[in-house]
Amino acid sequence: MVTRRLLVGWTGIAFLAVVVALAVLVPALNLGLPPSSRFHVPTHIVVLLGKWLCYALLAISLDLVWGYCGILSLGHGAFFALGGYAMGMYLMRQIGTRGVYGNPLLPDFMVFLNWKELPWYWYGFDQFWFAALMVMLVPGALAFLFGWFAFRSRVTGVYLSIITQALTYALLLAFFRNDMGFGGNNGLTDFREILGWGVREPGTRAALFVATCVALAGGFVAARAMVVSRLGLVLVAVRDAESRTRFLGWRVDRFKVFVFTASAVMAGIAGALYVPQVGIINPSEFAPTNSIEAVIWVAVGGRGTLVGAALGAVLVNGFKTWLTGAFPEVWLFALGALFVAVTLFLPKGILGTLGGRRRRPVPPTPTPAESRAAAE
Amino acid sequence: MNMKTASAFAGAALAAAAMIGPAVAQDTIKVGILHSLSGTMAISETTLKDVMLMLIEEQNKKGGLLGKKLEAVVVDPASNWPLFAEKARELISQQKVAAVFGCWTSVSRKSVLPVFEELNSLLFYPVQYEGEESSRNVFYTGAAPNQQAIPAVDYLASEEKVVRWVLAGTDYVYPRTTNKILEAYLKSKGVKPEDIMINYTPFGHSDWQSIVAEIKKFGSAGKKTAVVSTINGDANVPFYKELGNQGIKATDIPVVAFSVGEEELAGIDTKPLLGHLAAWNYFMSVKDPVNDAFIKQWQAFIKNPKRVTNDPMEAHYIGFTMWTQAVLQAGTTDVNAVRQAMYGQKAKNLTGGISVMGVNHHISKPVLIGEIKGDGQFNTVWKTKDLVPGAAWSPYIPESAKLTADWTYPWVCGGCEKPKYN
Amino acid sequence: MSPTLRRIALVLLLALGAPAAWAQDLAAPLQALVGDDLAAKGEAMEALARTGDPRAAAALQALGDGRLFQRKSDRKVVIAATTRGGALTDAATGAAAGSATAADLDEANLNNRLRRQLSGLLGSLTLTLGDAATRIAAAESIFKTRDAAALAPLTAAIAAEKDARVRRAMETARAAVVLVTDGAEAERIAAAATVGARGDRDALGLLLQAANASPPAVAAAAREAAATIQRRLVMLDAAQNVSYGISLGAVLLLAAVGLAITFGVMGVINMAHGEMVMLGAYTTFVIQDWCRTAAPQLLDHSLFLAIPLAFLFTAAVGVLLERSVIRWLYGRPLETLLATWGLSLVIQQAVRSVFGPTNREVSNPTWMSGQVDVYGLTLTWSRLWIIVFAAIVFVVLLFVLKRTAFGLQMRAVTQNRAMASSMGIRTHRVDALTFALGSGVAGIAGVALSQIDNVSPNLGQSYIIDSFMVVVFGGVGNLWGTLAGALTLGIANKLLEPMAGAVLGKIAILVFIILFIQRRPRGLFALRGRAVEA
Repeated sequence: MVTRRLLVGWTGIAFLAVVVALAVLVPALNLGLPPSSRFHVPTHIVVLLGKWLCYALLAISLDLVWGYCGILSLGHGAFFALGGYAMGMYLMRQIGTRGVYGNPLLPDFMVFLNWKELPWYWYGFDQFWFAALMVMLVPGALAFLFGWFAFRSRVTGVYLSIITQALTYALLLAFFRNDMGFGGNNGLTDFREILGWGVREPGTRAALFVATCVALAGGFVAARAMVVSRLGLVLVAVRDAESRTRFLGWRVDRFKVFVFTASAVMAGIAGALYVPQVGIINPSEFAPTNSIEAVIWVAVGGRGTLVGAALGAVLVNGFKTWLTGAFPEVWLFALGALFVAVTLFLPKGILGTLGGRRRRPVPPTPTPAESRAAAE
Repeated sequence: MNMKTASAFAGAALAAAAMIGPAVAQDTIKVGILHSLSGTMAISETTLKDVMLMLIEEQNKKGGLLGKKLEAVVVDPASNWPLFAEKARELISQQKVAAVFGCWTSVSRKSVLPVFEELNSLLFYPVQYEGEESSRNVFYTGAAPNQQAIPAVDYLASEEKVVRWVLAGTDYVYPRTTNKILEAYLKSKGVKPEDIMINYTPFGHSDWQSIVAEIKKFGSAGKKTAVVSTINGDANVPFYKELGNQGIKATDIPVVAFSVGEEELAGIDTKPLLGHLAAWNYFMSVKDPVNDAFIKQWQAFIKNPKRVTNDPMEAHYIGFTMWTQAVLQAGTTDVNAVRQAMYGQKAKNLTGGISVMGVNHHISKPVLIGEIKGDGQFNTVWKTKDLVPGAAWSPYIPESAKLTADWTYPWVCGGCEKPKYN
Repeated sequence: MSPTLRRIALVLLLALGAPAAWAQDLAAPLQALVGDDLAAKGEAMEALARTGDPRAAAALQALGDGRLFQRKSDRKVVIAATTRGGALTDAATGAAAGSATAADLDEANLNNRLRRQLSGLLGSLTLTLGDAATRIAAAESIFKTRDAAALAPLTAAIAAEKDARVRRAMETARAAVVLVTDGAEAERIAAAATVGARGDRDALGLLLQAANASPPAVAAAAREAAATIQRRLVMLDAAQNVSYGISLGAVLLLAAVGLAITFGVMGVINMAHGEMVMLGAYTTFVIQDWCRTAAPQLLDHSLFLAIPLAFLFTAAVGVLLERSVIRWLYGRPLETLLATWGLSLVIQQAVRSVFGPTNREVSNPTWMSGQVDVYGLTLTWSRLWIIVFAAIVFVVLLFVLKRTAFGLQMRAVTQNRAMASSMGIRTHRVDALTFALGSGVAGIAGVALSQIDNVSPNLGQSYIIDSFMVVVFGGVGNLWGTLAGALTLGIANKLLEPMAGAVLGKIAILVFIILFIQRRPRGLFALRGRAVEA
């Protein structure tokens, strides 16, 4: 059995403690204290932290497939964006007659492009439960389908990385098209309400922030549960010697499909939480550069550590936020130099270097049948 | 070891939080500049940042505003739309700027709009856009479709006797809307549907062989044909290079562009493009003392005697002049007071007229049609007699024809069918 | 006044049959030429042409060249030596009038309608002058303007013309004029056939125009001739699309072939590859800029200078990157992704700081401008040269890899480093040189791309994804695969584009790549053997 101690470890406990502390303190200090107080956390910090934590969840999902299974996805931003679009569609439907043209059914951009009726794929998104389901289902189904084909065909290494990039690039182009019915380049914006609460209210923002913290903690625990279980051992085996694992009788493709799908669902949830906090979702989220950046967060924080991935996401984005304000003219030099320096001097990432040896608990060897069950 | 990592993490979290310190008490008036200095839009927006710095420096030489110096706060949203929203929030909440000058492309404006409305601040948006918007927190100093597209089409129809139209654009909201308005307008003028060809290309499209050949084909139907181009910045250079190389001369099939100005032409050899057209509200080549002074000042500021000026720069010039006047008139930088003072504010534009800020947050502008010359400048071939007030809502889109934008009593609304009385 | 202008004036006199009016005052129409009233300007042009005065002809010529100005100081109409000023001639008297720069002069403006009118007027003037090319151009301009007044001089010129090619052009031009003017039906029907024989889109346009607005018999003849052209053009369309595809394929090949070395052969996921292309393009800009000021006579051939210099410069940058960063990362391909991504950000921003964020102008040399017509297939010279250039680069690279000692060492090192090292190959040196080769090739790709695309700091970004697709689709580590990949993707894209539109076409290509990789997980030309699994 997997014990609590094994499940998260010291670093994990520290991480969860920080996330919980943030979840409690940030809303409390934001809502509970007057703006004049020294300890008041202004709303823009809440929004900023919320955004970073969504990125952190995306980074954890990416680390799960890359760090533990060796699948370098250069298209994870696609799952993030799909989750975001599902949430965005719900938020669009909530606008109702408050849009500029006051059409109760059609979002503004459709009215404006002469659409007469709602496309079928927009049905159901007026219900939160449906949207929430789609947030997980759409990225999950795409990842399953994609993984099913790719992993069964034994597409590996750079070939896989490049076709994931092709996937997100194709989606980018598709969502850019105004004829697709997703608002084209402008995407979905001008949100008003989520579950009846105004998205711009400080209370809603705090609630979304707490939800993000919960999702991040939940995602972390789930990912951790996967990697410390027997499933995780197989994943690591696949990462380190895929052919040997296959020759030992494991159905490598099924493990890969499972973990890829799970990771995509996690990325979708991160995207869904991101959209109401940022206030806009548009095709640029599909841009291949965004996915590459996500890979870089993981590499900076430490691949195969989960906590490191989250840390990397927050640090790189924090760095970026600070630099773009403080040194708008030269910040790219600093960011570029940071990436080069990390690769040269901290090849295992920040946490990987600090943490030294990687924790690898050695439970009894599972039989193929057991782990196949675990994968399904 | 593990405790070490844990403490490192906590430390990093603290450091991240500390990056965003509390706002510093101010004895200057801060002006936010929200233009991309890196990424795909840097090509256009960096110039506008420099113009703003110049205008602010100039104002400070005159003694600033209300006895205080102006202080420019420059940030880099890096052509990343969510980052635009983040930076807008940072400028308003943390830096406490009095107004923000910035954005380029509708999506960047749409992305910051909720932030400006939530925090009640002012944005001056300097680029021509598709209209269909009038926010209480945005002043649109670029052209609305009625100040650019429709006069250009009128000119081609009357002066060049064009009867067949190619509407070519990048697939995003500005070309979509402009083309939709133009299509409705052309049809209302009796152009047959088969004489209109609409073509959309992705952003940064670089291989124009097929499309230019298609245009050539469409243009060889025995009727005078013209191309109305809403192709976005980056894609224009390869487009014009292909036009030039495939030998499409302006005397055969003229191309009138709404997004190609002096800055874009500076990157192209314009000799093959002689006579192709652009519609703007300002050309660098316009002879006017105010314009001459502006160009001289700009070239001195940027330390390059060859740098060109363009339409969005003029828009910032007008917007900034109006804002400073409004602040002086209101006696404060308070957003509500300044906004009230903005209505009816008059400022000299650079082409010899006086632009007025309307109650729909759009300004009046002259419309100029220019033909490209060999030196990358435009030769004004047509100009409206009077300034055209900007219309937020187009009468050629049925849903939008009903709406009125008027932020003064009794309307108090950016898009309503009936006055709101509050 | 030059002798040519005198001759032009003389011809003008004969051609238009205008009465001699040497003494007529030119001042009023000349003033109208520099005025703002466009209608008056058109009339003044006609009036000047009618006078037959050599000074008037000179003024019209100058107007067409953009050398006619009004001097700001005394509002006198002058002809300058160049479009930027220089020595001045008084347009009304022909006397020298000092010199001035563009700042002291107001240019006489034209719009397209006037430009057409003027080229018609000048077209009649140059029909019997100059070399064959000029005469053909004159006939061509009459073909376009179809100015009825040009009919008489054209008929006279045809009678006097000896060169068969020129005469054919003139006859077509004459037929074009006849076709659209009211005249004898039989003559117009014959004209329709003559125009139809030209067989291109311009002829088609003219015929369709005639088919819409002519007496029934003429219209029928025009329609028939048009139909013949249309049938031919439909057949050509497919071939035309394939030719566009090859040209796009050549661009993709150029962009990707450097990557085929740094990524395909060395295994470095080189995200800075696009920036090498960009540096190559900027080198071209710098060379052209230098030529423009220091050696204008070289400007037309500056590309020949740019190619080796771009290669050397980007190769040097490549060596620098390899020695300082990438050499620490061999065998860890994913980390090269991170480092080269960082480097690409730095290089982009550096270029932005040095050259500014805006596009820089790189002009096409004259031998790369315009288009060539091969049996109705039109290809622009720039594209054609890029195809040739891509082929040369590819062949040279193949030769280097397969037939030289360096190529042998390079393949040895990438296939089995330890073994190569023990055979006495200096692997570090080979690594550096290989990376330099890949970067250098990217650099010369930049020279070619500067001819058809933006030269801006973002140039590289727009090619990097396509380059990776090409290399992976073709099969990593195989140069032939890169060639096949580039051509397949280019042609497929161009065949899809007319059917599905540019955006959907591109999406279809990406989906195709994804599906294709499922079928052949190691690309088109897969490497075989044990090394593959490593």
